[in-house]
Amino acid sequence: MKAGKASGDQAEKHDTTPMRSPVNWALLGLVIERPSYAYDLAQRFERRYEEVLPLSNIGHIYTALGVLAGRSLVEEIPGTRAGRQPKPHYCATPLGTLEYRDWLIGQVGEDRRRNQLFVLALGALTNEPEHLREVMTGYERACLSEGMHTPISGAPETASDSASALLGRLGEEENRLAVGAKLEWVEYARQELKKLDGRRRG
Amino acid sequence: MSLLELEAVHKRHDEETAGRTVLRDVSLQADAGELVVIWGLRRSGRSTLLRVAAGIEPPDAGVVRFDGHNLADRGERLLGKGIGYCQRTLRFADGHSALDHTMVGLLSRWVPPAKARLHAHAALERTGVAHCARMTQRELSSAEVVRVRLARTLALRPRMVVIDEPVKGVELGERDPILALLRSLADEGLTVLSSTGESTGLSQADLGLVLGDGQLRGAPARELAPVVPLHPGVERQASG
Repeated sequence: MKAGKASGDQAEKHDTTPMRSPVNWALLGLVIERPSYAYDLAQRFERRYEEVLPLSNIGHIYTALGVLAGRSLVEEIPGTRAGRQPKPHYCATPLGTLEYRDWLIGQVGEDRRRNQLFVLALGALTNEPEHLREVMTGYERACLSEGMHTPISGAPETASDSASALLGRLGEEENRLAVGAKLEWVEYARQELKKLDGRRRG
Repeated sequence: MSLLELEAVHKRHDEETAGRTVLRDVSLQADAGELVVIWGLRRSGRSTLLRVAAGIEPPDAGVVRFDGHNLADRGERLLGKGIGYCQRTLRFADGHSALDHTMVGLLSRWVPPAKARLHAHAALERTGVAHCARMTQRELSSAEVVRVRLARTLALRPRMVVIDEPVKGVELGERDPILALLRSLADEGLTVLSSTGESTGLSQADLGLVLGDGQLRGAPARELAPVVPLHPGVERQASG
């Protein structure tokens, strides 16, 4: 399958809507990192994102490339389609690079949306205090478990300096600090729910 | 039988907190070779819990046992020998070095100076600050201060180390090596009981618990680290 005109054309019809697919954004990042052809990008995608964005079908990468091309976020490098087995290479457009940066910064908002979703969903249990308490206890335990399973980084002088090791460490640290914030939130929520419980009884 | 057992412990702070109950029916067990971390917000009572577990403060109700013995009966005699409570602050006497400071506990137990120096050196080496032996307090970084505090505790060869907020105030990049040190002490067979106000301190704990509203909560399944005796020779002598 190729990142063909068909899928690109289809994407053009929707190119004013926000691009939500994390696969598309992750692929754009790989193109920015190093322009290449579809098959190589698919391989790199699997290596980089295999644990966080598993692909059910590698064909998704070709479709995603079509979407990116349709939105003018990537473009074909002229002259790379030549030869008996053409391998059109893609590079990011200036717009693609800018949008990618904005998307990364916008992840703060995504976290907020995810948190809101969680709290709203939790709200469904406010009339079932027993269930709510059980969920809070389970959530707290899950946070503890997450914190306990976070690896301890090696000493700076022994830690690998490779980019992938650094990315791994940065990811773990972000997660670890987020777990602390969640544990604090559970404490806050418990206190507030206790007050609510008191008001209802009073 | 666990090395440390807290059973239905209650503790109230009357003077400081207008009668606030800081520990409410707290039960806890810690085995040899386990790293147990208590997470809690400020004023959650986590430091009190550690002091009670170390036998420094008695509980108002409930029992604290160390190696099967009620600490109410033998508290102070265990401190520093079986139980090593790592002081939160480090205060060298004027003109004293890290080595002098590490030796103090040994000398106060009538260990001959030459032997005390040897043990203190070994402890400083174990905690990764042998190069700081001649340094004064002012010359140490925050991470080195924690390591010297630990060295002073380890010099007494305890079976359990109790350390309150080991990475508080330590530079971000220096925290993990300290946590790795605590993990390695547990892997050598010591029981390590620690507290933290940040999730960082939970990393690689065998047991992580939350202290909130006076209660200890959350007990994900223990994943025991392999137990290796710290001083196999000493253990053989003791059992023989």
